[in-house]
Amino acid sequence: MARLECINMQLVKRTTDRLCHYWAAVWAENIKEWKLELTYKADFARSLIDPVVYLLPYLLYGIALVGGRESESLRNLVGTADIITFITLGYVFIGFLNMALWAMGFSLRKEQFYGTLESVFAAPVPRWVFTMGMALHSILHQLLMIGVQIVFIILIFSIKINPIGLLPTLLIIALMLVALYGIGMFMASFTLIFKQGGLVSEALASILMILTPIAYPLAVLPVFMQKLALFVPTTYGILGTRHFLMGERIGFTLREAFVRLGMLSLLWVAFGLTVFWIIDRWTRRSGTLGHY
Amino acid sequence: MRRSIRIELLAILAECRKTIRIWFSYPIMIVFWAIFPLLWVMPYVFQGRALVGGATSESFRQLTGSGNYLAFVLIGAMISTFVFSALWGVGNSLREETYWGTMEYIIASPTHPLVILIGKTLAEWAWSSVMVLFQAVIIALFFGVQFTLAKVLPVLLIVVLLLVGFSGFAIAFAGFTLLIKEVHGWVHTLEWIFFLFSPIRYPVQVNPVTAVISTLIPLTWALVAIRSIILLNKAEVNLYQTVLILLVMDVVLLVTGYFLFVYLEKKTRRDGTVGMH
Repeated sequence: MARLECINMQLVKRTTDRLCHYWAAVWAENIKEWKLELTYKADFARSLIDPVVYLLPYLLYGIALVGGRESESLRNLVGTADIITFITLGYVFIGFLNMALWAMGFSLRKEQFYGTLESVFAAPVPRWVFTMGMALHSILHQLLMIGVQIVFIILIFSIKINPIGLLPTLLIIALMLVALYGIGMFMASFTLIFKQGGLVSEALASILMILTPIAYPLAVLPVFMQKLALFVPTTYGILGTRHFLMGERIGFTLREAFVRLGMLSLLWVAFGLTVFWIIDRWTRRSGTLGHY
Repeated sequence: MRRSIRIELLAILAECRKTIRIWFSYPIMIVFWAIFPLLWVMPYVFQGRALVGGATSESFRQLTGSGNYLAFVLIGAMISTFVFSALWGVGNSLREETYWGTMEYIIASPTHPLVILIGKTLAEWAWSSVMVLFQAVIIALFFGVQFTLAKVLPVLLIVVLLLVGFSGFAIAFAGFTLLIKEVHGWVHTLEWIFFLFSPIRYPVQVNPVTAVISTLIPLTWALVAIRSIILLNKAEVNLYQTVLILLVMDVVLLVTGYFLFVYLEKKTRRDGTVGMH
């Protein structure tokens, strides 16, 4: 009995040590990405202004369409007429989507450009740890950008949100990020196999940007797109967030939203890791890891 | 003198051929650029449907003369392909040479880097023209926007003037690339500044600030004229004025682009930072 306990203790210790070791690698990768980013200070400053510049055409287009801030058509569809708050809350999620579609794959491509991919991959940690470090950097970067975006919009347009909804919103975003990490791993594997994986990211981003109800409710999409949108984690993130913060009517219960998002997280992470593992093995066997 | 021009022309041709060969190494890119710029406007189409509940908007009509917001954004997407192609293809091209490790060879070769950039510009023009042609066919077939010969000729004139001006801008930007190296993000920002301050996706008149700033961008004049011709059948009204304004802007952009590039290229050579990342 005592021996079993001792073995268990050793197992727990070994697992804890390994997790600490992985966490150190994740953090080191995150710090490395920040250092690289902050080397180009002007570029970093620009990246903070970007989200505002990105958002404004959507808002101004909306204002041009309805001739003001309120849309009767939107009220009929989702129960709220305020297009500024509606679009701003939806747009915040583009940053997260970009993290999944771009950050990890592009980071790998950059390592290829710098000629350091083989060295990084030779490090004694699994690949998913390495990409998780990239994801962590990207999440922190996105949060910073979202902060700037929200402050700007509050100052210029003033958005009205329900503060009580903040906590469940954070919960739904956290769950969505897990699923997006899975998508990110899947996208990163394209970089290994196609090298110019950016094009695949761009293509998928274009499709997801249509399916994800950023500046419109799901109801305006054709039926087959509405069904496809239910497999995209950001759909639940956006609809859930707008429901909690501005009372958007959604076509499913909150319980359903959390359950489906939880399942999507599991599926995407399992799928992303598996595809990455297979492609990583294949590129190393075929000796094409360092190819351009 | 004639021999020297011939050599420069050969270098331009070689660069053009090299750029096109690199594109064809990634054949999927051709399909992508022919189709996806049109997909990028779909969110605006659905946004329009959600906010106005139909295919036309009265508020939009008051601002642009046409309530057909779908045609408005599709034409914007098509014409902006030229501009963004120049920005990415020419402006960012020297950065790519740095990544490939070939930048120093270009600088060290007896050919002036500007000649190389002209080769890249010509390749981009050819590339974006083919892509826009594909897009025009798709728009005509699936979205019912009509392109008659009487409309196409004045549109072509405007497009050529737009291309020339933007090439000057892109060449200046390529010089900027030599100086600050990491420009990928800057190209993105510029792209979005054009989205914000020119009527690619929305009528800039909706806001007084964007309305004023947009007049400084050739794309604004080009898009307003092209939409007048295609959507409102007003070919002759503003064409002369638009052509004149675009000509003046072209001269300013080409001259400024040339001098800026030469200055920045000399500066990076002197500072010894050409090969730096």
